[in-house]
Amino acid sequence: MSHLWLRVALALYSLGLLHAVLTVIRRRQKVFRVALSAFALGALLHLVSLVEDGLALQHFPITSLQEAASLAAFLLAGAFLLVYWRYRFQSIAVFVFPLVFVLTLTAALERNTYYADIPLLRTTWLYLHVSLIVLGNTAFFLTFIAGVMYLIQERALKLKKPWAFYYRLPPLETIDDLAYKSLAVGFPFITLGIISGAVWASAVWGPEWPLDPKVALSFVTWLIYLSLLFARWSAGWRGRKASYFAILGFIAIVVTWGTNTGVHSFITP
Amino acid sequence: MNFCLVGLSHKTAPVEVRECLAIPEDLLPDALRAAAALPDIGEVFILSTCNRVEILARAETDDGNIGPQLADFLARSHDLTLSELQQHLYEYRQQEAIRHLFRVASSLDSMVIGESQVLGQVKAAYNVARATGTLGGTLEEVLTRSFAVAKRIRTETGIAASAVSVSYAAVELARKIFGTLEAKRILLIGAGKMSELAAKHLLHSGAAGIFVTNRTPERAQEMASLLQGRPIPFEQLLEYAAQCDILISSTAAPDFLIRKNDGQRLLAERKNRPIFLIDIAVPRNIDPEVNKLDNLFLYDIDDLEGVVKSNLQERLREAQRGEQITEQEVEKLMRRLKTLDVVPTIIDLQAHFEQVRQQELERMEARFGSLTPEQREAVEALTRGMVNKILHSPISHLKTLAQHPDGLKLVETVRRIFNLKH
Repeated sequence: MSHLWLRVALALYSLGLLHAVLTVIRRRQKVFRVALSAFALGALLHLVSLVEDGLALQHFPITSLQEAASLAAFLLAGAFLLVYWRYRFQSIAVFVFPLVFVLTLTAALERNTYYADIPLLRTTWLYLHVSLIVLGNTAFFLTFIAGVMYLIQERALKLKKPWAFYYRLPPLETIDDLAYKSLAVGFPFITLGIISGAVWASAVWGPEWPLDPKVALSFVTWLIYLSLLFARWSAGWRGRKASYFAILGFIAIVVTWGTNTGVHSFITP
Repeated sequence: MNFCLVGLSHKTAPVEVRECLAIPEDLLPDALRAAAALPDIGEVFILSTCNRVEILARAETDDGNIGPQLADFLARSHDLTLSELQQHLYEYRQQEAIRHLFRVASSLDSMVIGESQVLGQVKAAYNVARATGTLGGTLEEVLTRSFAVAKRIRTETGIAASAVSVSYAAVELARKIFGTLEAKRILLIGAGKMSELAAKHLLHSGAAGIFVTNRTPERAQEMASLLQGRPIPFEQLLEYAAQCDILISSTAAPDFLIRKNDGQRLLAERKNRPIFLIDIAVPRNIDPEVNKLDNLFLYDIDDLEGVVKSNLQERLREAQRGEQITEQEVEKLMRRLKTLDVVPTIIDLQAHFEQVRQQELERMEARFGSLTPEQREAVEALTRGMVNKILHSPISHLKTLAQHPDGLKLVETVRRIFNLKH
């Protein structure tokens, strides 16, 4: 596979990276229009590349870590464009553009690591499980960013000292709205993702499937988000407390993502 | 192009000097005509506001005398001697003069950077000069460009983005907390100029409605009718407060009206929806401890003034970018003015026709063979005469056109229809 389109998309995403760097160090917003157009075109080509991969592999390209990273990058790009279209959040770009770039870079590098080619595991459940988890994590990444932005903006408002970011960040209520909506979208995906994983495991190993660290950690993550959602609904949690929880949840996601042992050990099958 | 700008502003002259130099609006046409009558002045524009008096002129020749002449004119027209005035005056020449005009119009030179008034004043002064007939094509171009530059700087930088008055700072903070102010309710406690102003700005920015309360019910009634709000009894203040998103307090109460436990209760009743408390009173009406509660933002008068101060600093930072834009625009305009100069256009036009004439003569000779000297002379005279007759009217018009406000546009049109390259 040549991954030509993926590399072109990567080049376009790099303009977004440039924008993020310039915004942080030089307070320039000029590049944004160009970066946004490049980013949107990049996302389109990324989709082309995903479809191409899928046709070449004859399955949904999500069986290796790189493929999952590629899908995550694409979903994040799409989510960003959606959020931008809905809220006109420019400042989110500073967080999203670099991450999309790094994920795509990982995906565009050589792919000689593990493919889930154990016939035992190669079922429809695989695609369903991984896709749902990636979708959920993308939404939770937005919740996380919203949490960070909320804390920065809230601090500026509480300290009564407007600093550089105060002028760029969106209003608190708007950030909180994004945090809540992305949480509400992400949670069902993660829940279904975990259920599909459990069903898949039962199908392969029967009722006594092995409990590995990743499974345990994702359950902890799920509990964090469940309590956050519950606290928001019932106790009227919002703002700072909710932001801390969203950040905690995302740390749990990163730890879970990085833990690849047991049934989830991808590197050495 | 020989531009010269002479004047004084709040940066160089105290108000006593400025006020005695200011030219009242009804006398401006006379002043313009008098300035235009000075020797060697081609076009002239005068800007007179409470913060500055400036004359911008285009001279026919560049002999360096124009500046002192304008300074002298300013002094004489106010019965002052030049030596009294000299220390307050500045003089800018050529592109420095244009840069200064651009900076003034964009409000980079204003007392409050980013204020929008000065552009209107420049536009008004331009209209007077245009009506009086002291603007030619060049200054017309320079002035209209300054409006465009001011607009560009306003939109591309943040020089006018943040509030620089206490009451607007309150609105801006409310927007930073709530986003839109639609459906947000205000509670105004007590009366006062500043709190009334803040409430008005908030209502203008889309707030849904306002409750007004006061220790004297009549006063509350009065304020309510003024702001089209609803008066509520002072004792029930905290009950109504839970329905409101923004509280403005400015009573003469000696004790705190709202304490930390009141704040907690409000938040609980509101299910943690944010509250913005503005305490303009001195001594303060709201316990500063309240600000420690989550989802509650308390600003007293010092805090608001602090925000205004930071906003002014932010404007100063943004002004740096405005200066860069000014620099680019001055360069661009100077280049454009050079190409639209009338004299080179006339020369280009003559050269163009001469070229056509020569080409046609060559073609004719190629067809009919060489002519006798008499024939040749006759043809030369004939064609030359035709070209001169055709060009006579356009050239004499071009020469006078430069004096008209629309001159440069016509020069541009001429260049375009004859395809004259720069």
